[in-house]
Amino acid sequence: MRKSVLFVLAVAVVLLAGFGAAAQDEKVLVIGHTEQTDFYDPANGFTGTTSLVRRATYDTLVTFPDEDASEILPSIASSWAISDDGLHYTFTLDDSFLFNNGDSVTADDVVFSIQRLKYVNGNPSFLAAGIDSVVANEDGTVTFTLPEVRPTFVTELANTAFSITNADVVRANGGTDGMDAAETDGAADYLNQNSAGTGPYQIDSWAPQDETVLVRNPNYPGEAPYFDRILIVNIPEAATQKAALESGQIDIATDLSPDQMTELEGNPDVNIWRGPGQWNHFLIMNADPEIGGPVSDPRVWLAVRLALDYEGYLQLWPGSVTPGSVMNYFLAGAFQDDRALSRDLDRSKALLAEAGYPDGFDIDLKYPDWNAFGIDMNINAQKVQADLAEAGINVTLAPGEFSIALEEYRLGNAGFGYWLWGPDINDPVDVLAFVPGGKVATERLRFTEERAPAEILELRDAVKKESDPVRRAELFDQIQVWLQESGNFAPFLYPPTQTALRVGINGYNWHPQWVMDVAIISRDEM
Amino acid sequence: MPLQVFFLRRLLLTIPLLIGITLVSFIIANAVPSDPVSANIPQNAFDNEEIIAAFRAKWGLDKPPHEQYLTYLGNLLRGDLGVSIKTSKPVLEDIRQFLPATIELASFGILIGMALGIGTGIIAAVWRNSLADYLTRSNVVIGVSFPIFVLALIGLNLLHVQWGIVAGPGRLDFIMRDPPNVTGLFMVDAALAGQWDKFSNAFSHLILPAFVLGSYVAGIIARITRSSMLEVLGMDYIRTARSHGLHERRVIIHHALSNAMIPIVTVIGLSTANLMTGAVLIESIFAWPGIGRDAFRAATSQDFPAIMGVSILIASIYVLVNFIVDILYYFLDPRIRVA
Repeated sequence: MRKSVLFVLAVAVVLLAGFGAAAQDEKVLVIGHTEQTDFYDPANGFTGTTSLVRRATYDTLVTFPDEDASEILPSIASSWAISDDGLHYTFTLDDSFLFNNGDSVTADDVVFSIQRLKYVNGNPSFLAAGIDSVVANEDGTVTFTLPEVRPTFVTELANTAFSITNADVVRANGGTDGMDAAETDGAADYLNQNSAGTGPYQIDSWAPQDETVLVRNPNYPGEAPYFDRILIVNIPEAATQKAALESGQIDIATDLSPDQMTELEGNPDVNIWRGPGQWNHFLIMNADPEIGGPVSDPRVWLAVRLALDYEGYLQLWPGSVTPGSVMNYFLAGAFQDDRALSRDLDRSKALLAEAGYPDGFDIDLKYPDWNAFGIDMNINAQKVQADLAEAGINVTLAPGEFSIALEEYRLGNAGFGYWLWGPDINDPVDVLAFVPGGKVATERLRFTEERAPAEILELRDAVKKESDPVRRAELFDQIQVWLQESGNFAPFLYPPTQTALRVGINGYNWHPQWVMDVAIISRDEM
Repeated sequence: MPLQVFFLRRLLLTIPLLIGITLVSFIIANAVPSDPVSANIPQNAFDNEEIIAAFRAKWGLDKPPHEQYLTYLGNLLRGDLGVSIKTSKPVLEDIRQFLPATIELASFGILIGMALGIGTGIIAAVWRNSLADYLTRSNVVIGVSFPIFVLALIGLNLLHVQWGIVAGPGRLDFIMRDPPNVTGLFMVDAALAGQWDKFSNAFSHLILPAFVLGSYVAGIIARITRSSMLEVLGMDYIRTARSHGLHERRVIIHHALSNAMIPIVTVIGLSTANLMTGAVLIESIFAWPGIGRDAFRAATSQDFPAIMGVSILIASIYVLVNFIVDILYYFLDPRIRVA
């Protein structure tokens, strides 16, 4: 009997010995994150997690500042020149960049990377569709030719999808930049598990839906990053992220809800980073009378905007701001909350009466039953329902499964709905998606050019070609004024981006392009 | 009936069952009123017809459904479950990656469930209408009716965050490297490699989610054990055994429990299959990279090859467990051998 007791005790000691102790010298950063990626291959992946990893493992020709997307900075390209006709961009390469196997970056690598992106038909390939050609010149520079003037082109190149890969390595692993790359390229598997870039880190391993491991690039010529290893752990459940952060198992939690952030405010071991958010929440109104019914009338569009209780949404989601327009508010020239609409129920009701609905109308609000990065869309939908009821509009909530609702929206079959948008290009030109002829306005909400007044089409065409920054800002100002008065969207909320960090983690900054740059994060030495 | 005939008959019955399951899974997966294109192509590429056409051709979505199904069935017979749309890896490889974590969790869960369920069930039956019986019956109701995710979150916050007596999410502390992969079961692999720190760390991560899972099935097992034992304890042969002066422990374990095992084995079998396949919530809450979480991911991203693969796996687990239960019946119940 005594022997069996001793045996049980010995087993218990062995089993419990490992709990809580994983002492080590290695500097490791653990990020708790809801993994959203299908590829780390730069030419195939186009999601938040992919951007985060690409920022750490690759470089682009040009880039943004660490803090935001307010300007374009040199990166692999040390300088660039634009031809007089605005169609040719020539980039001079900085020869100090080295790939993780020690090779120098050449013009051929740039051409290969861009052409592979264009022809492989991956998720981000559309970004390169507007490039006619890219050529390596004898002097080591690279020239891009565009089919038409596009002042945003250099900004577009800062997207991490334009990461420059080592052509020799990618070719050796089945990659190609031929026009038949969609059928013949076979490098995606290799680039999902390895990186062939110039960034401070390289991919060590990726277990999809589980964990991504980055280690230092041994040939990185710049200042070595603080951490030896970066672990991006897939923790889809926000409550679990919170628990893991509180217990110190992870250093950064990226997906906590505003409520959970509030609960963490008193925790001495946790800091909360707050900054401008990426997602604009808005109502959509279909311009086709057969689909939108009463919400296809431009007077109703404005009536809906004026019926929303903007202050109420800020109380629901502390730290948020009211959008001044449907242009994401961190983009240059975007209307801030001081130029946002205010609630005016009398004018809203008058507009409804003018449109032929003095007693309001009944309508379904379609939206995804989804927690959008910590914001429960159901809660906002209920608030919209209550707000519009005061103007006489009787809204029935019609939440749908995400992919089913998304499909209806994308096909332009949603009459009245609630969606959100994060910019594809960190340039004010992104707002043109909401202008007649643009992706969201026309393809999803049937606000076609035929239905649109000439003034907005002229403004749109002018701003697309305008390269003078002052004149450009003026045109975007006018476009936003038009959208506020006449657009078929009702933007009502910009939730903040909030990230919870263990105390001692420094250098974190949420970025609209790459989520965070792990290479500039460090930890206080004990 | 000889064991071989019994075994073969049960085995043959599984073949049409599995084929039927592939058909039902295929029909259900295709009946969802949504297009996998919208779930797997980014918004901005949605307008690019070339990309969409290439996507449809790549995944065979441009073919009529019956052709898709027959192609799938043909590939399945060759052991090819297709390639996951979302992970771009063979579905079989994904299953190999995720299944061991689930097996490890479910095995411990069912062991805990059996220990708690059978133990308390016997106590409740032997001391019928005692305090122990009332407590057991109350716990059964609580165990079955209490939402498992609430129990998991309470456990995580109290036992891990507040009191620090068990480890938190994941299969190991995140900063620990996995043990060398042999079986995929971390405790086994760590033991094989002699990495006892990882062995104990893996155990400390396993104990809480396994206990939560186990407590759920323990309630059902306890209830069945109690009622089955009560029925057997009233039998004449139990009275006869006692009148022969046998020790009470021997009467309960050898004479009563062994004869009460048929319904208990049945419910353990079903519970095992349930735990292997239905641990989605627990795997999500404990960041446990298992098959339940993969199934949820596949369903929400309309990853048809993965949905089909996971469905067939789940069905196979049920079939296998039922098969094992049938074999156990053969040994437990002499009437089956005679029939």
